[in-house]
Amino acid sequence: METVLVVDDEQGILEALADLLREEGYRVVTASHGREALERMAELRPDLVLTDWMMPVLDGPALIGRIRAEPAFQGVALLGMSAVDVSALRRLYPDVPFLQKPFDINALMHQVRKALDSRRL
Amino acid sequence: MSSSEQPARADARVSTGVPGLDSVLGGGLVPSGVYIVVGEPGAGKTLLANQLCYHQARGGARCLYVTLLAESHSRMLANMRDMAFFDPALLPEGVYYVSGFRTLEEQGLPGLLELLRREVRTHNASILVLDGLVQAQEAAGSNRDFKKFIHELQVAAGLARFTSLMLTSDGPTVHPEYTMVDGILELRERTAGVRSWRELQIRKFRGSPTLAGVHNFRVTSAGLEVFPRLEARVRRSPPPDPGAHRIHFGIHSLDALFPEGLAAGSTTLVLGPPGVGKTMMGSSLLAEGLRQGEPCLYMGFYEPPNRLLNKVASAGIDLKGAVADGRLNLIWQPPAECILDVLADQLLEDVRRRKVKRVFVDGLSAMSQSTPESSRMASFFAALTQELRCEGTTTLFGLETPRLFGSVLDVPLETGPSAVAENLFFLRHVELEGRLRRLLSIFKLRDTDYDPTLREFVISRQGIEVLPPFSVNVDTLLTGLARHPGGGHS
Repeated sequence: METVLVVDDEQGILEALADLLREEGYRVVTASHGREALERMAELRPDLVLTDWMMPVLDGPALIGRIRAEPAFQGVALLGMSAVDVSALRRLYPDVPFLQKPFDINALMHQVRKALDSRRL
Repeated sequence: MSSSEQPARADARVSTGVPGLDSVLGGGLVPSGVYIVVGEPGAGKTLLANQLCYHQARGGARCLYVTLLAESHSRMLANMRDMAFFDPALLPEGVYYVSGFRTLEEQGLPGLLELLRREVRTHNASILVLDGLVQAQEAAGSNRDFKKFIHELQVAAGLARFTSLMLTSDGPTVHPEYTMVDGILELRERTAGVRSWRELQIRKFRGSPTLAGVHNFRVTSAGLEVFPRLEARVRRSPPPDPGAHRIHFGIHSLDALFPEGLAAGSTTLVLGPPGVGKTMMGSSLLAEGLRQGEPCLYMGFYEPPNRLLNKVASAGIDLKGAVADGRLNLIWQPPAECILDVLADQLLEDVRRRKVKRVFVDGLSAMSQSTPESSRMASFFAALTQELRCEGTTTLFGLETPRLFGSVLDVPLETGPSAVAENLFFLRHVELEGRLRRLLSIFKLRDTDYDPTLREFVISRQGIEVLPPFSVNVDTLLTGLARHPGGGHS
């Protein structure tokens, strides 16, 4: 079973995403900011990190930077999501796929699947 | 060091970016102040806070918007996407949204306070919004804990120099805990019958006087716009002395009733039923002003501009040329719902910009009926006329009386306007000798002698003409039901 780490400071969104992904058959762990996400990653190695952008303590860009800098996390797929206009974020992080909030469930599941499949390539 | 690099003056106010609100606040929010914005759901708190953030971010400031149990950030942004102040390019550097709800749930107020301090520092924010203060209050173990939270936030705001806005939907009650903050802004929506309108009131403000009382505001695609109450900002100084300058209507037979003319800068009220000739009389005053080279202004509620121009042209009053070359401005407001202060601002802005010398407001009754605040009309009228006098503008207001005929003299709007106006004319229809006639009488004129006799006047293609005094001996003419003494109705 593939593991998805969902990172979002908005509790309602975090819980809703976790439920949806579990229903889809994924194992899900959650964190409400980047530092908590790194702590979770140290405990178990997720296959995908689905992270929000604006968060307290450690935000999305900082989290992605830490993941990339850590050799143990190489191979973990990344998927960003934000209420900010993601076209600007895509220009800043061209190798990270982004979901524009609000998104529909099908788009989310499609992007999650695509990100997970890309790590096998 | 360039001017843009100059540090902000310690006493410079924080502009809200909400038109009219800084004026109400005496210049804006005080830096490092902690403010509460209170209002029912839908009152406009979130919009106000966001408008402030984007305004500040546009000027280079960084703003931190922390939500507790509020709508999601994506929904909030979606709701603002069509607002003129919203600029996605300012995200996330200029305006940064985070949720503090989980921290509040898990760590209580101390955890939330730590999050606020840390995130303000991380983002170098000079503006902090906490949306959902009522959740923080509910999470507090006691009132003392909540007061401690606010006190510590004030200390943090003073040390780190950020200005805080805390939004709460905690009803109209102002809790004792709130008295610790630097200011309380209340937003509310009121309803009367099928009409509703929005109001803002500053319940408390440390640092400077604010404009007292209740101010209207509206929400449009531009965001919030506050209209400071005219009575609260009216000049207290006496109007300038107009000296010997006098004003005439340019109608020989009318001006002959008061040869010295009206005092410049005075206010004239013309009362009368619909169709009696108020518009013609006011338009004559403007036409004479234009002949004297004075910029003039017409504000009306009934006839649209083209219809008005054609109507007065049929009485020999040609205003079209003056409108075309900008000497006369026509402001037309359909007699629908409106905000009195918006009308006053429109009028006064034009008066100040073009140095208007004569104003004719055609329809004081329509102005009164278009607002839900008709009880305010007397004080509003007094404030408006004071401002116009201070500008040295001579103003004529047409005020409709509801009855065409009858023995009762109805003066709408209570006695306010008629008491404030220096000059009072009364126009009526009267049936006499089988003919419907127009009758003019002067009730009062300031600083000048006038002919007090009742006069018939006619309106023809040559304009208004006041006829000589009645040759027949009639009384009770003003009732509209004239009769010869000793006889029946004529």
